[in-house]
Amino acid sequence: MTPPPPHTPHRELDSESRRAEFEATALSFLGVVYGTARRLTRGSDDAEDLVQETYLRAYRTFDNFVRGTNCRGWLLTIMYSVFINHYHKTRRDPATASIDELEERFQAYLESGDDAGEAATTVEVHGVRLSPEVDQALSRLPEEFRAAVLFVDLDGLSYDEAAVVLACPVGTVRSRLYRGRKLLFAALQDHAVTLGFRKIER
Amino acid sequence: MTAHYGEELQDLLDGRLAEPRRSEVTAHVETCVRCRRELDALRWIKSGMPKQVGEAEPPPDLASRVRASLDAADATDAAAASRRSFASRVPRRAWIAAGLAAAAVLVVFARGDRPSALPALVAADFAAYESAAAQGGGGGLDIQSSDPKAVEAHFARNGIAFPTRVFDLGMMQYRLAGGRVHELDGRPSALFAYRGPEDTALVCQMYPGSVSELPATDDVRENNGITFHVFRSGNVTLVFWQEGDVVCVLTSSAPTETVVQLAFVKAVRVESLAPRG
Repeated sequence: MTPPPPHTPHRELDSESRRAEFEATALSFLGVVYGTARRLTRGSDDAEDLVQETYLRAYRTFDNFVRGTNCRGWLLTIMYSVFINHYHKTRRDPATASIDELEERFQAYLESGDDAGEAATTVEVHGVRLSPEVDQALSRLPEEFRAAVLFVDLDGLSYDEAAVVLACPVGTVRSRLYRGRKLLFAALQDHAVTLGFRKIER
Repeated sequence: MTAHYGEELQDLLDGRLAEPRRSEVTAHVETCVRCRRELDALRWIKSGMPKQVGEAEPPPDLASRVRASLDAADATDAAAASRRSFASRVPRRAWIAAGLAAAAVLVVFARGDRPSALPALVAADFAAYESAAAQGGGGGLDIQSSDPKAVEAHFARNGIAFPTRVFDLGMMQYRLAGGRVHELDGRPSALFAYRGPEDTALVCQMYPGSVSELPATDDVRENNGITFHVFRSGNVTLVFWQEGDVVCVLTSSAPTETVVQLAFVKAVRVESLAPRG
């Protein structure tokens, strides 16, 4: 099957070709989109509805998707917009962690280093091990920080891509990511050693 | 020294610092325990944390649910073709801008002057794998495994001197079948293969070299600062890109855009792969 030349707008395709092209381009991301939906909705049953709504909107606006550009980013942009407008507001946040407390814990971690002895610290990541603590700590981060960590560190988006998905400037992605990472580390610090974070001292 | 670098530690980690600042911050981290601890914490969240997070497989009926809602949309559109009112709600101006830039590139495949046969060789390897796999016996792979680490270890043990990166494409519904140490154009190549939806084969090769050795193609894409060179040979699509001293190429008979999107997701800029120091 030879696809039409890439400069053909989708709307000029007959509806069958348009549908086939949509499925070839977008449906291969179902797993990615579902994984992100699960995390956005904090593992709730809303994830499937969010995925369905996302694909429906993507399909309806497929004429605006420029062939050859990043489809995953486009789908996540649509999904985050649906999530913020329809899912997020209708639900109360689960008890979010106290930011002040986490900030204090992070400071305490920074200051607890032994200046003289630590010649080298190395982070080692061991084999894959799933930890409910991480999912739990992530779900308790305030939404703006959580979304930045989720899209950059878990979905692997670049800052520029995340800025589009989150509809904010790149500088905002940078600062939310920075705080989000610190808060998440503070929340996980007690587990971090068993989760593969350790210091090797020379 | 009392100053600490805060967000610039993250810039260093994410490969977003230019010289000379990069060297300054790197040197500071060598001597400042506090900044080193902060960098370690950020790095663990970036690299270690994601490995601890559970990935849920989509429920088996989700794809059919999505297709059913698309069917419903098709039926509604057929009845009222003019209703397209959702379009303006989604903030996607930047994707469109990126798309316009991409659309400015002519996208008709043409052969250039350089006589490199690499795309033809890679396409032939794909065809050979397909026909061997069709006859059973694993398609001539030395190792059959769905574990990327096991396949990477196999390459390292059997003479592949450069680091390989066997992708986990499970979330894209492609399952690793295995790999073999291969020879491409007289050089070592790490070849590994996947099976995707409807048993579609996807073969990746990594070989030492440069994309500048490829013939010219008019289908060149940019994503995330990486340049992708797209070739077609019959119904087979080949997508090449550079990672450090290694060229990666994905080959499949899946639709061209599917193969391109898989490459977009899996390619990394090498300087951001491993933090230095």
